[in-house]
Amino acid sequence: MFKNYIKVAFRSLNKNRVYAVINILGLALGLAVTILVFLFIKDETSYEKHWSGYERIYRTGIKADMMGQKMDAPASPSPMANAFRTEFTDVESATRINTVHQEILVSHEQTKVYIQKGVSVDSTFFNVFDYEFVLGDPKTALKEPNGIVLTEATAFKLFGDKNALGEVIKYDNRRDYIVKGIVKEPKGHAHFQFNMFMADHSITTMWMNNSWITYVKLKENVDYKSFEAEMRRNFMKKIEPDVERFMQVTVEEFIKQGNAFEYQLMPVKDIHLYSNKDFEVQQNGNIMYIYVFMGIAFLVIIIAGINFMNLSTARAGKRAKEVGVRKVSGASRKMLITQFLIESVIQSFIALFIAYILVELFLPGFNNIMETNINLFNEYLGKTILFSVLVTLFYGLFAGSYPAFFISAFKPISVLKGDLTKTKGGALLRKGLVITQFTASTVLIIGMIIIFKQISFLHNKDIGFKGDQVIVVPLQTDDMTENFRNYKNVFLKNSNVQSITRASYYPGDIPNQNMFSLEGSEEKLPLWNMEVDYDFFKTLSIEMFEGRKFNVEKDSDSFPSYILNEAAVNNLNIENAVGKRLGRFRGPEGNLQYGNVIGIVKDFHIEGFNQEIRPMVLTVSNQVWFASFKIANTDRNKTIAFIEGEWNKLEPSHPFRYTFLDQKFGALLKQQENFGTMFLFLTILAIIISAMGLYGLASYTAAQRTKEIGIRKVLGASVPNVMKMLTKDFIKLVLIANFFAWPITYLLAKNWLTNFSYQIDMPIMPFIFATVLALVIALITVSFQAYQAATSDPVHALKYE
Amino acid sequence: MIKLNELTKVYRTDEIESTALNAVSFEIKQGEFVSIMGPSGCGKSTLLNILGMLDKPESGSYEFLGNEVAHLNEKGRSDVRKKNIGFIFQNFNLIDELTVFENIELPLLYNKVPSAERKQRVNELMEKIGIAHRASHFPQQLSGGQQQRVAVARALITKPPLILADEPTGNLDSSHGNEVMELMCELHEAGTTIVMVTHSSHDASYSGRIINLLDGEVVSEKKNKIAQSAI
Repeated sequence: MFKNYIKVAFRSLNKNRVYAVINILGLALGLAVTILVFLFIKDETSYEKHWSGYERIYRTGIKADMMGQKMDAPASPSPMANAFRTEFTDVESATRINTVHQEILVSHEQTKVYIQKGVSVDSTFFNVFDYEFVLGDPKTALKEPNGIVLTEATAFKLFGDKNALGEVIKYDNRRDYIVKGIVKEPKGHAHFQFNMFMADHSITTMWMNNSWITYVKLKENVDYKSFEAEMRRNFMKKIEPDVERFMQVTVEEFIKQGNAFEYQLMPVKDIHLYSNKDFEVQQNGNIMYIYVFMGIAFLVIIIAGINFMNLSTARAGKRAKEVGVRKVSGASRKMLITQFLIESVIQSFIALFIAYILVELFLPGFNNIMETNINLFNEYLGKTILFSVLVTLFYGLFAGSYPAFFISAFKPISVLKGDLTKTKGGALLRKGLVITQFTASTVLIIGMIIIFKQISFLHNKDIGFKGDQVIVVPLQTDDMTENFRNYKNVFLKNSNVQSITRASYYPGDIPNQNMFSLEGSEEKLPLWNMEVDYDFFKTLSIEMFEGRKFNVEKDSDSFPSYILNEAAVNNLNIENAVGKRLGRFRGPEGNLQYGNVIGIVKDFHIEGFNQEIRPMVLTVSNQVWFASFKIANTDRNKTIAFIEGEWNKLEPSHPFRYTFLDQKFGALLKQQENFGTMFLFLTILAIIISAMGLYGLASYTAAQRTKEIGIRKVLGASVPNVMKMLTKDFIKLVLIANFFAWPITYLLAKNWLTNFSYQIDMPIMPFIFATVLALVIALITVSFQAYQAATSDPVHALKYE
Repeated sequence: MIKLNELTKVYRTDEIESTALNAVSFEIKQGEFVSIMGPSGCGKSTLLNILGMLDKPESGSYEFLGNEVAHLNEKGRSDVRKKNIGFIFQNFNLIDELTVFENIELPLLYNKVPSAERKQRVNELMEKIGIAHRASHFPQQLSGGQQQRVAVARALITKPPLILADEPTGNLDSSHGNEVMELMCELHEAGTTIVMVTHSSHDASYSGRIINLLDGEVVSEKKNKIAQSAI
């Protein structure tokens, strides 16, 4: 019996190839998307799970609102980790880290390499994060202050295949470390990726300097919420002396003044998807992408499913005779339902097979766009297959059920007599399904346009500086830092070098915060401070709002002048700022160093657009490590070669490196751009599947009305008359679909836009455009069929019955 | 074998009610070959559908092999049908996706006959009606007469005591039509009860009794002398 079903299924597919292709290919695409999304989610949720006891590891953070300045960052003070280890019985281990933000020149004998992602860590680091040691002992590796641990790849760069253990390496030409261990790259993803671990034995007791990140591993069965409460009680006491010294108030009064300050714990397993704080170690993922991609996969599957249901019921007439014959031959309804379900399940599994081929084809592109490294053949292969088989089975049964029940209910007497009027039922449902399908497609089209509008808005947003002609070069020796101002003329000899400056960091980097106070005011102002050199505003083309720029004659390092940005003046309500005296808290005693506010600079962006511009203060300093050159647009490569040549003469120890400032800042937009690109592809896919379904449906509708068309033509209907008749109905459906799609998309898009501090106003054009696009797609698809039907010879049509 | 009493069937659409069968009563005995004749729309197909339990009567009684079947549900009718009745249609109604062999085999599948036996019975029957050389062909590769022979074979394969034929020669030319009618006579001689709806008095002349319908009522019944003498 099954053999008979399967035989008929294949022969019937072979006979209706267009139908089979639409159905199977549509579903295969849908399944491929689903499998891709599954792999993506598996990958995104796999973070940190390779650490043993990962569910007991937490990262501390600070959430504060001081003088109207909000901060939510994974920052902590230096003594915290030690306090965890010594004062809490529930703690198994704790460690602090301090990441190095720039590349470090590391050398061994003649080999010099720049290593990214170095980190200073406690000797307990490997107790919390159990990297696998190839050489050395995790317990003792960082016990000595000159110990360093390298990953295999880093060690290979420096030592090749030589055993590196015990070798001395030079760190930034400043100090020596002894290699005490070589670790393997972790098996899974983590929210950090380090290449080099330096022992950090520094001791500071300041609880107000939050330059570290602290991780704590709790003992088993400790309730982290009550631990968090205990931690807060303990640590709030610890910051008391610091608060009193810097703020001249007690913690209690400080809070009473409307300030908030809280220590928090975050499970490390949640960091990648849920943490979007200031100053993350590296850009994390976003749970929103997972929801959006899941939603799309669901929509695509629904669209493909609707194709199946629509086409199966539309062409039910073709199977009607078979049903009649089977019924009079003794088939019960149950047997027929079984038969049609088996057919749809068979089709689904053919589609699944193709889907896996498609996934293999799509993966390289997907990885490229999403910057992932997902592989179909990974340790989840079993789960992936199980998942896809379940989805396919469900799909086959679900999408097949309606046609199965519908067709099997045919009365044999009517269908065997060739009377198909009864088989036209289900037209209403078919219409409903087409509406659903086009609603889904239209939602995707509108959504896609809004995403692109927002991304291009961010791209074209006035970022307040010009970075396309500016290269940034790190200064790595004390000599270069100390004497850079004297070397400037060497570079300025070339007329294509337009201006030169330095800064403590640049747009695209992580800013610093310090406490300031206006003279004669008790109020403490938390400002994001940036040290720069003369010509900073000129080099970055940043405009002044009021007052003057820094000037070699008037401002010096020892008697600082200050320039505020607009955000500082506005957010902190500083009136008539220019001319006031501003003091900066310096040193452990909290002494104030005063200077004049000489100007207000127009706002410019340092961080990405999900962060509003922070109140900033700029001052001139010689202790800044990033030089930047503004170069002419002509002969750029030559100019850079010139700079490199001169640079290497001045500083032969560190090979010259540079980045363009606009690329550095542009990296902040990358994730959103990738997301937009992926969304675009998925939308196009969904539209193709929809259009395929509509094409199939239109062709069957035309076929069903062949006789009617023939009669109309004999009676004098023109080709356009007939085409109009055939397309009118579909156009109506598309319009109804838009009626639903508009409000749905409006709400979804509104929600998505809240991710950005700078958003576009909800535009109306994408909505209108999507409606027009959907209509055009529907018209093209349907009229192709309609034209064929309308121009066919009426004699054939009338003989058809 | 069949006993109808005051059998009535009414078709209803939104506005119109039309009586297809009006208090039809007659009896058909085991082994008879009966033709039902009448003009288009007289209700003969409706009658055949009810006899074949493809449709339900409105009222009246229908006794089949001594059991009342008029008000059985779909499943009950399907059970009686698949054990006892074979159908032959004007337009053959072969399944295009199945070969000759598979089409004939189909009722055996639904009656859960084991594979080896199925094969043997289908082959025997194909031999007997002269289509064995076409076993693996699809219906569209056969002539009309061959297709109808396959359809007859399919109706016979379960050896049903009753064959219902709805204009079996309607789509055939006269020589192919005669072939099919001769096949029906052979069946009849072998003891199968046959009820045949036809327009053709030539075809009807093969049968033993003719029931004439008009506007849903039996207007006349006559024994067929030629056929009578043939027995």
